[in-house]
Amino acid sequence: MTRPLRLRLVLRDLAAGAAFGAMAVSGQLPVWALAVFLLTLVLALCNVRLVARHARLSALLLLVAAVLLGLQLTSGAMNAVVAACSFAGLIAAQRMLSAPDGAADGQTHLTGLLMVAGGAALSGDMTYALCLIAFGVLASLSLALGVVEAAVPDGEPVPVRAVLGPLSGGVAFAVAGAVAFFVLFPRLNWAMVGPRSAPGLGAASSAGFSNTVRLGGAGTIKSNPRVVLRATLTPDPGRDALDAYWVGRTYDTFDGQEWTNVIGALQTERQITLRPASDTLLHQRVELLPAYGGRTLIALESPSRLGNALAHTPTGTRNSTVQLQGGSEVRFTLTAPSYTYEAYSLPPDAKAVGSLALRQPEKDQLLALPEHLDPRVAQLAARVLQGEKEPLAAARKLIAYLQRDYAYTLELAGNSEDPLADFLFVRKAGHCEHFATALTVLLRTQGFSARLATGFFGGARLDGAYIVRAGDAHAWTHVLVPGRGFVTVDATPPSHRTSQASALLEKVLALYEAVEARWRNSVVDYSFRDQFELANALVRPPRQPAQASTRSSRLPPMRAWLTAAAVAFVVWRVGRFLARRQKRAPRMEATRFLDRVDAQLARARVPRFEGESLEDLTTRFARDGHPLALALVPLTRRYLEARFGGRALREGEAEHLLNTLRRALEAEAARRVPKAAEQAGPTARAS
Amino acid sequence: MKAPARPPFRARLRAWLRPPRTLSVTKMGRTYLVVTFGVGLGALNTGNNLLYLLLGLLLSMVVVSGVLSERCLRDLTVRRVGADAAFAREPFPYRWAVSRKAGHGFALTLAEDLSPLAGLGSLGHLPPGTEVVVRADLAAPHRGPVRLSGVRVTTTWPLGLFAKTRVFSLEGTLLVYPRRGYACREPGAAESGPMGETGSPRHQDGTGDVAGLRELAPGEDARRIHWRKSAAAGRLLKVEREREERRTWKLALDAGLTGEALERRCEEVAAQAHQLLDAGHEVGLKLPEHTLRPAAGAGQERRILQALAWVGFEDADPGAKDGQEREAA
Repeated sequence: MTRPLRLRLVLRDLAAGAAFGAMAVSGQLPVWALAVFLLTLVLALCNVRLVARHARLSALLLLVAAVLLGLQLTSGAMNAVVAACSFAGLIAAQRMLSAPDGAADGQTHLTGLLMVAGGAALSGDMTYALCLIAFGVLASLSLALGVVEAAVPDGEPVPVRAVLGPLSGGVAFAVAGAVAFFVLFPRLNWAMVGPRSAPGLGAASSAGFSNTVRLGGAGTIKSNPRVVLRATLTPDPGRDALDAYWVGRTYDTFDGQEWTNVIGALQTERQITLRPASDTLLHQRVELLPAYGGRTLIALESPSRLGNALAHTPTGTRNSTVQLQGGSEVRFTLTAPSYTYEAYSLPPDAKAVGSLALRQPEKDQLLALPEHLDPRVAQLAARVLQGEKEPLAAARKLIAYLQRDYAYTLELAGNSEDPLADFLFVRKAGHCEHFATALTVLLRTQGFSARLATGFFGGARLDGAYIVRAGDAHAWTHVLVPGRGFVTVDATPPSHRTSQASALLEKVLALYEAVEARWRNSVVDYSFRDQFELANALVRPPRQPAQASTRSSRLPPMRAWLTAAAVAFVVWRVGRFLARRQKRAPRMEATRFLDRVDAQLARARVPRFEGESLEDLTTRFARDGHPLALALVPLTRRYLEARFGGRALREGEAEHLLNTLRRALEAEAARRVPKAAEQAGPTARAS
Repeated sequence: MKAPARPPFRARLRAWLRPPRTLSVTKMGRTYLVVTFGVGLGALNTGNNLLYLLLGLLLSMVVVSGVLSERCLRDLTVRRVGADAAFAREPFPYRWAVSRKAGHGFALTLAEDLSPLAGLGSLGHLPPGTEVVVRADLAAPHRGPVRLSGVRVTTTWPLGLFAKTRVFSLEGTLLVYPRRGYACREPGAAESGPMGETGSPRHQDGTGDVAGLRELAPGEDARRIHWRKSAAAGRLLKVEREREERRTWKLALDAGLTGEALERRCEEVAAQAHQLLDAGHEVGLKLPEHTLRPAAGAGQERRILQALAWVGFEDADPGAKDGQEREAA
């Protein structure tokens, strides 16, 4: 067996790696599968073919792995798609480490193709597209080099550079064709069962809600820039920074260490109404992303209705009911990496706030204080409030005091027996939970009903929607105002309410999120409706508003670009056609040359038979030793070459040949005249 | 044995009905198509857009494969260079010359179309504007004129999924000589009569290389005297040359032989002629219809082989006999 081309094997192994990456980006493959394949890839790239001499042993190991995967599948510990993908990865690894022959190459590419298909079933991430394209390019190059290598005789080099040229054009054409097929092929089903999202490789779901909020510890989540929520608001506020409170749940009971609720699960419905609806509700289409990692529905303050939820599980999208919990928390009943749902909230400037239906135990807890509360807390509140009786004014006084005399920090090492007293009287620094807890407890010590609320603060505009990051996680206070219900008050300094992540990191992630959002809208969620709208827009473009048209009038419309492209294509084709016609011109030139030769011969009265061609005349003259043959032979040969041999007459060559013929004809004529005179002389003399 | 003067009607009809390109699916291509079909079913069944994207890429690859292979076979010029000598039932080198004016060609496989010749030649890369000679070891099942109708050029470029074939119509004839097997029988006695100088009593020595000098004996040919050495020695010295043992055989192919017997006899005569000519003798051939005069050398062996190859195919297409000189010589 000849030695295979190293480059081809590297490309093959990289292609398999890209195919495995298409599955791995979903984050659903078991860690051992990732480890095995990565080790295999490294070994294969180092040209270490471990199982080349142990094919049977490796096949046996594969069989064992298949049995183990089957057991996990039947026990319900593993999804069928994940098990199949893991096994495909193992087969690819076995093939990559085996002796590199034609069968191993083909099977590696085949398993790569299956892995890419499996990745499509597992993940909807944009990185899947990159892996898909990488697999297509690398596998095509490897296959093409293999095809050429098989035809190259032993010992001769494989023309790698010559292969890359036409093949790269072909692959680019294939990618363009794939996009065209994707856009144009009619979607025959309306149900989108495909994966909308997956946890992702290395994703840490850290923004989820727990049943308790325990004071203390470092606020590491504030530096997490991952997007956890994407919401489309109707009506659209149109602001770049929403700076709004996105509430998840509230807590009413504080024991000095942590916040809890007195009431557990309540009702389960398709849609939960927290407050009476009004005509001016703010509609939110919310998508909770895998980085969120919780089951609590999030909505803008103050939520009215939540529901119509879809859970995007690894096996498909399902409708999910929602369950009302204590603390006005609404939870999904299904566990999934991501969800979409609808929420309706009262507008921020709403004056008449509907009353929240609270159970009696909840109402009782709004003034409850910890058993061993430090007496200095109440004294501090009384000193700050100076007898203020109006809840909202009291809250504002306390907020001003806290923001003035207390610092914001995320560095809170160690645990404290009384974290509230530690914050208020020792450290005098804390994060949002400390500020919110302090405000809530201070209000309660003075007889104002209040509770702790958790969720997110912020909302950055991205591609027509608003995104919320994990670092936007926040805690604040709800103070009960008679006649208005709960009003949001926040003691945390405003500059520290949103994410505390690096600005550069946030910009990079924002760019990635923008591309990801475009990918999700244009590819993952592409549907027959989009196709219909696209066709409709092409047939009958929507009329732009007058203002918009004046703003974009500098650039021609899309139709003009398409028409220009079509005209350019037609011009190019016509030009190419004409260029080819000009290449045929030498034939016509040869014919014209023949006509001129015939004309010269006719003028010189060279005797020719009826229908005798130039070739026949030249042949006859050459056979007879005619003096004109010396001029006619090269002329006829060049005519035939120009006419039929593909060797066009050079510039001026026709004139040169015709001049030579003309001189030969003149010489022949001159030779004939003395001969005639010589013949005529004796006759005259004889006469 | 009757020679196929023209290809049979079915072969001609098949050639006439044959499309300009033929496409066959390789083993890997079959698997590829099955996977593509499965991905298509999955996409239609689940509505997963990523599967649609993958399906689009797979189908585009099929189109790209067709386009690139067509570009590979287009503007291709094929010329038969032929073989120096083609012997039945043993591999013989055969050559084609391939060129194209513009664009590269990859992974080309050449073979004779609709002919009993087995074997093919392959070419990894054909650069533009260069004529490349492709060599192949072909094998013919039997001797005689083989009518060549065209050259089949196949490529699996670019992905090895499909094999696209184009047939270049190139009429010709390849004359396959009989196999030079082992000759069981001796060629018989050499033909009697004067042969070279051996018949002359005055010319006892040969005409080969110089063997030495010796004094001229009385009655010996004076033309053998080496005058310069004789002048130096002071006596007449004669040049002695090695005697050549060239003898003449006339091999004969008996009339009335047919089938396997004729084949075996042809192979035997070819082997005998090869042995004798290789030893420097003159060999002639007597066939039922004509006779080759005795002569020596490689040219005579070729003439004998050609004559033997045509035995039984005398009523073949007259043009083939002229054309075979071009193909087989």
